[in-house]
Amino acid sequence: MLSYLVQRLASTILVMTLVGIFVFLLLHLSAGDPAAIIAGDYATPQQILAIRQRLGLDDPLLVQFGRWALRVVQGDLGVSIFTSTPVSTLILQRMEPTLSVAVLTMIFAVSIAVTLGVLAAWKAGRPVDRLLMGFSVLGFSMPTFVVGYCLIYVFAIELRWLPVQGYRPIMDGIGPWFLHLILPTITLGLAYVALIARMTRASVQEVLEEDYIRTANAKGVPARTMLMKHALKNAGVPIITVIGIGVALLIGGVVITETVFNIPGIGRLVVDAISKRDYPIIQGVILVFSGIYVLINLAVDLSYSLIDPRIRH
Amino acid sequence: MTTTRRRFVQGGLATGAALAAPATIRAQTTPSAARTLKAVLHGDLRVFDPIWTTANMTSYHAGMVYDTLFGVNDKFEPQPQMVSKWSLSDDRKTYTFELRDGLRFTDGTPVTAKDCVASIRRWGARDGGGQHMMARLADTPVKDDKTFQIVMKEPYGLVVEWLAKAATNVCYIMREKEAGTDPNQQISTIIGSGPFVFNESAVVQGQRYVYDKNANYVPRSEPAVMTSGGKVVNVDRVVYENIADEATAIAAIRAGEIDMIEYPNVDLLDSLAGEKDIKLEVLNKQGQLGWARVNWLHPPFNNVKARQAMLHLIHPTEVMKATFGDEKYFRGCSSLFGMGTPMENDANIDWFKGAPNIEKAKQLVKESGYDGRPVVVLQATNIAYMNNAANLIAQWMRQAGFNVSLQASDWGAVVTRRAVKAAPDQGGWNVFFTSGSVNAFGNPVSLSGHAANGEKGWFGWPNNELHEQLRDKWAGAQSDAERKQIARDIQQNAWDFVPHAYFGQWFQPAALRNLTGLIGMPELIPFWNVKKG
Repeated sequence: MLSYLVQRLASTILVMTLVGIFVFLLLHLSAGDPAAIIAGDYATPQQILAIRQRLGLDDPLLVQFGRWALRVVQGDLGVSIFTSTPVSTLILQRMEPTLSVAVLTMIFAVSIAVTLGVLAAWKAGRPVDRLLMGFSVLGFSMPTFVVGYCLIYVFAIELRWLPVQGYRPIMDGIGPWFLHLILPTITLGLAYVALIARMTRASVQEVLEEDYIRTANAKGVPARTMLMKHALKNAGVPIITVIGIGVALLIGGVVITETVFNIPGIGRLVVDAISKRDYPIIQGVILVFSGIYVLINLAVDLSYSLIDPRIRH
Repeated sequence: MTTTRRRFVQGGLATGAALAAPATIRAQTTPSAARTLKAVLHGDLRVFDPIWTTANMTSYHAGMVYDTLFGVNDKFEPQPQMVSKWSLSDDRKTYTFELRDGLRFTDGTPVTAKDCVASIRRWGARDGGGQHMMARLADTPVKDDKTFQIVMKEPYGLVVEWLAKAATNVCYIMREKEAGTDPNQQISTIIGSGPFVFNESAVVQGQRYVYDKNANYVPRSEPAVMTSGGKVVNVDRVVYENIADEATAIAAIRAGEIDMIEYPNVDLLDSLAGEKDIKLEVLNKQGQLGWARVNWLHPPFNNVKARQAMLHLIHPTEVMKATFGDEKYFRGCSSLFGMGTPMENDANIDWFKGAPNIEKAKQLVKESGYDGRPVVVLQATNIAYMNNAANLIAQWMRQAGFNVSLQASDWGAVVTRRAVKAAPDQGGWNVFFTSGSVNAFGNPVSLSGHAANGEKGWFGWPNNELHEQLRDKWAGAQSDAERKQIARDIQQNAWDFVPHAYFGQWFQPAALRNLTGLIGMPELIPFWNVKKG
């Protein structure tokens, strides 16, 4: 297990190095001059040139890359071209809202989806199963922004129960924090409920057709014990895989939800940075999230052996 | 240790108190909702230094934090603001300014003449008008803590106008410490003497920017008019909320979570029409002006006939309709200086009276000797009015005989490409579209886009010697009447050589929820004088 861990960590460093090189080149070869955006529409070419020189954007690409790589190796992700704020500070500031949405969404999604999935598998082929799977297709097919606007209209504008937008830090109190996250969580969670419920149903149903389940059934093991202790546990590997991928996607991909609900998370940060061509932020966020993605995959892989002792690395 | 029920309850209460404590502390220091004004403005505030960038959002921010030596009234005439009195010597070369009493920066230090001189010099290094003035400046002697002079090499009629101008870059007064920063480098400390204090600790970059009332600010006694008069603040806090999604912003104002949207999406205006607490009001009564810049360095627009063709083929009403729908929000524009500015005039506008005229444009294209080479038109697809203008004007250009190559990208890519001077087939361009505040177009010297000084000038690089001479003459004029006459001469000449073409002037309303006293003016949202409720 230890050698596997070391091997995975080494490959993580390699992946992140390649990601870094790729992102650096891609950004600098694409059109878009941060100096021109900073200077504003009335600025003269001379003023833009002065800003370019000040930011070092006129240096050869190799020099710029070397400067950036050296800083990254020392743990410094650089500073925003526009605000001169350290990228690591910006990422940390934005991490709380994104993690809040991601964690609540996964709690919401997993708790509902696993229950629905197991129920659907147990009642496979019956109306309950068809209803639940129909619901999951709907949840998966509805665009996030449509769900978001519908929820805003009903619960924020008409009923005035919940806020339309914004985020309150957890330090402002759990109540305001939670109230601001209910609509984003439901909006984002519906798709994950659908995804995990379908995967749970398929996995559990497959296990329910195994011989040992039939034997347990013949021996009179109660349905609840059979489902939760035998079927769900043995169907756990693919479900955990989907949840792991879901968490990774959630952290990096809540852009639409963050935009619709005006949450200052990582998604908004990177989209704003792309529109401004704020290279250090884009590079920093991608590097950090590549790392998180790889680590989550590692955690998922390691969890397999805990769930199913037959799996050994 | 065993966990008893009592211990469990005690632990729960302690945890609750710990979590609630920060909220309690914040509640004690945060103004109430009734005394907080939340506004969604046209963009994100990306840069805090109003000299380093010309971005309007930065100027809005600076207008809260900093004060100016002069302001303008509703006729755009300079009025003393931080200055108590001023005089001009008999030889019309030496201006003497005295600061009014009670001016203090928010760190408690008094505003001195040295701060003013340093601020003027930093502004003068970046602003178009400032650079024009600095080139003719002899000295800026400081007489005492409250008095300084601006000494010009020759009589120069625009000193006070430049110090008062409300269009970017505005000559905001900073502490000497910040004003001494290289003009090409951003300042990092934001301390002004304006009506608000920038509350950096409450800022969430990309989402929220907070300004608290400057309790020590001493407003002038005159009523507030544009950027002049008493900047009396009636709220405790103003928050710029950056809501990227326009539908969410509309929902937020309907739900009462915000008090103002500077430019609500025109497609969504109808949804606000029935709300009794929300009114739509055009604040920038001069509006915005859309313009098509043509590249003088390469065919076909290095030929005057091809440029004149652009004047004849554009249908401003159609371009505006495509984006702004309701005709009450737009109009055409025949004046080089924009409609509604003090320099607006009707010299040489026969082309406008007859436009659009595709047949005339066709004839001019033929006369220009255009050889059919592809004409590269840059299309910024992420900004609606630019996207629509590009689509429609490219179509009319095709009808007039141009072989148009419409090249789509985002605005970020357009601002890079428009700086390329190479031929269009080697990464350059022929036409791009943008817009600016009409207020800025009213000044032929400070707006860099008005220059026709060839490759040293703004993108498009028009070149006309007479135009440059007339701009200099305008700057040296000693009276408004003289300036207006020269503006006519400038326009007479310009619509012959065609530095650029306009595709419409628009007036987008703001949505206001229970707000009164908001001063409508171009290129700034003043949050003094405003009352909630």
